[in-house]
Amino acid sequence: MSESAILVKNREVVVPGQPLARGRFKLGRDVFRDESGIIRAKKLGLADIKEDTVSVVPLSGAYIPKEGDIVIGIISRISGSTIIVDIRSPYQGVIPIPRGRATERVDMRKYNLKLGDVILAKVKAFDGSSSLLLTIDMEGLGKLEGGYILEVEPAKVPRVIGKRQSMLTILKEKTRSDIIVGNNGRIWVRSPSLRELLALEKALRKIETESHVSGLSDRVSSFLTQELSD
Amino acid sequence: MPLYVEKKPEVLITEDGVRTDGRKPYEMRPVRMTVGILDKADGSAFIEWGGNKILAAVFGPREVHPKHLVLPDKALVRTRYNMAPFSTPERKRPGPDRRSVELSKVIREALKPAIFVENYPGSVIDIFIEVLRSDAGTRVAGVNAASLALANAGIAMRGLVAACAVGRVGDFVVCDPNHDEDMWGDADMPMAMLMEAEEITLLQTDGPMTEEQFREALKLGRNSIRFLYEMQKEALKRPYQVVERSVRGVV
Amino acid sequence: MFESEMLTHNLLKDYVKDLVSKGQRIDGRGFQDYRPIEVKEGTFTKAEGEAWIKLGNTQVLVGVKADVGEPFPDTPDKGVLVSNTELLPLASPTFEPGPPNENAIEVARVVDRAIRSADAVDMSSLVIVEGKLVYMLFLDMYVLDYDGNLEDALTIASLIALGRAEIPKVEIKDDGEIEVKEEKWKVNLKDLPINFTFVKIGDQLLLDPVLEEEQVSDAAITLAIDKEGRVCSIQKKHGKFTMEEILNATSIARSKWPEIAERVREAI
Repeated sequence: MSESAILVKNREVVVPGQPLARGRFKLGRDVFRDESGIIRAKKLGLADIKEDTVSVVPLSGAYIPKEGDIVIGIISRISGSTIIVDIRSPYQGVIPIPRGRATERVDMRKYNLKLGDVILAKVKAFDGSSSLLLTIDMEGLGKLEGGYILEVEPAKVPRVIGKRQSMLTILKEKTRSDIIVGNNGRIWVRSPSLRELLALEKALRKIETESHVSGLSDRVSSFLTQELSD
Repeated sequence: MPLYVEKKPEVLITEDGVRTDGRKPYEMRPVRMTVGILDKADGSAFIEWGGNKILAAVFGPREVHPKHLVLPDKALVRTRYNMAPFSTPERKRPGPDRRSVELSKVIREALKPAIFVENYPGSVIDIFIEVLRSDAGTRVAGVNAASLALANAGIAMRGLVAACAVGRVGDFVVCDPNHDEDMWGDADMPMAMLMEAEEITLLQTDGPMTEEQFREALKLGRNSIRFLYEMQKEALKRPYQVVERSVRGVV
Repeated sequence: MFESEMLTHNLLKDYVKDLVSKGQRIDGRGFQDYRPIEVKEGTFTKAEGEAWIKLGNTQVLVGVKADVGEPFPDTPDKGVLVSNTELLPLASPTFEPGPPNENAIEVARVVDRAIRSADAVDMSSLVIVEGKLVYMLFLDMYVLDYDGNLEDALTIASLIALGRAEIPKVEIKDDGEIEVKEEKWKVNLKDLPINFTFVKIGDQLLLDPVLEEEQVSDAAITLAIDKEGRVCSIQKKHGKFTMEEILNATSIARSKWPEIAERVREAI
């Protein structure tokens, strides 16, 4: 086999199948190695080369749950002792309703949910195909009251949060809003007025469309300042 | 009663290889591809190729309905190729016919080898192709657009699938048969390939070709597909470059 | 409109209603504001007349195809107009492939009724030989992207498509043969009946609802106004209205007619 080599620039937009590297590199996320040993992109995204690992940061795509993720769900069905939750994913979440007294430490009021309620939940277990177990049995989880739900591309969630929550802090402070970001791309917001909410919505669209261009935080920050001045 | 009567041209191709639309045998009609033109779909693309105008959209991976169709270890891929009533000179009755059912199947089988279906067990990926205006070669145009829509939806793929038809008119092997050649030509051969690995994922032939002509047609098909593949890559990257330029321009 | 098929969350309703009670809408528009109408340039079909329009994020494509055939026995002196709507599965995650369902049929009929009731298309001008041969116009309405208010979007696009249509002239020769000429004729649009859709949220009427407003609305109504300012067709959909609300809706629609009609004329 030929020598190791990187075949793209770091942060370059790459398309599915595009050769990224060959040789000794390790496979990161959303890449595969073909029969000839070339590492290729699986998705439309940004090439991401860190030391000896080659990955693609996808620019779009459905939400695929991971254990430990925090998601915003909508109750879509309640049947017997289980609550079925839509989490904007190919897979529906399930919350078993705990049985009475065996679990005394459980706050049963939390399970008093109805169709269409919005909840903040944690992915407890996921087998990768059918069984997706959610939990609301933790401090801070459970029904979300008031506010509104916005959506972003699930692939853009890390950019909405930013490094050490930097972007989220900008969004919260500039729009004076309470914001909770679910890993599934649903965002719960409570804004002081429609003006801030509309500005936030535009800022989210800006994050989605400009995430591949560096200097995003500064642009979003000055955009919001401008949008909400006077 | 038809308002539009088809007339067969006297000469489909001249002795020195000039076609009814003035093209040379190996020349392709103009193609334009645009990605992401629909808001509600997870991925979409629009292709204009000669007189063809075709929209493709992808939804998924999403939950499967009805449930009994679920494949436990991989994604189900469904495809619907459909022609709009106003896509043809004579109004086409809405709804599927035998042709569109077959094309839906061959298009699905052209695209499926490109998709990492094993990454999305138990889900479905729906691909919808709507021919708004048809002008020969709709299935290959549809494959190009659908492949772009899949990538635009962020679905994991081995590579893009590009497609082109080739054909035979008299002694000439031709690229991208036009309407006249489609109707009255001697052979038509739509092809699709996973271009990176040069693997064929769609191949149909209608009409006889000699061994030599067939070899020439395959080679012409591959070269044409390679050209379209470059356009696909460009179409997928273009929106990001446009944004980058406008952001850099302002800052 | 298709609320039963769509999962909505409970925060949406409270949020939208709360805004409405303060005189606001989720996208920042006023209650009587239309979304921007964009008419796409270019040819996208093989129809004799067509229009691809965007109403906000709703996109529709309408094509008018012509044919000739026998008139209906009870109207030998009139041509034929057939309307059909396809809610394409690519327009919304909730639309499924298959023959038009009740929603698609209702939308098609609401558009059709507005056009017919105002006598917008001169049906007698479609006659070639009375009782024997007439033009048949097929109005095929394609929904490409669904973000609320299909009725108005499809009506606007249909009028533009009809107004733009150029149809090959057909004559009957002395020997009874039908001859299709090179020459074209244009459909005579005598009127521009425009549909206006309102949803009721709380006690307010909102013109040109987006999808979310349709989903949480208490009631919905579509009414068409002709060039004389007359109401020429109405379709009350879900929910209930007071008489005063209906009268209010008609007067708002009447006041909006010139603006939208001008947009249609421009596009033709």
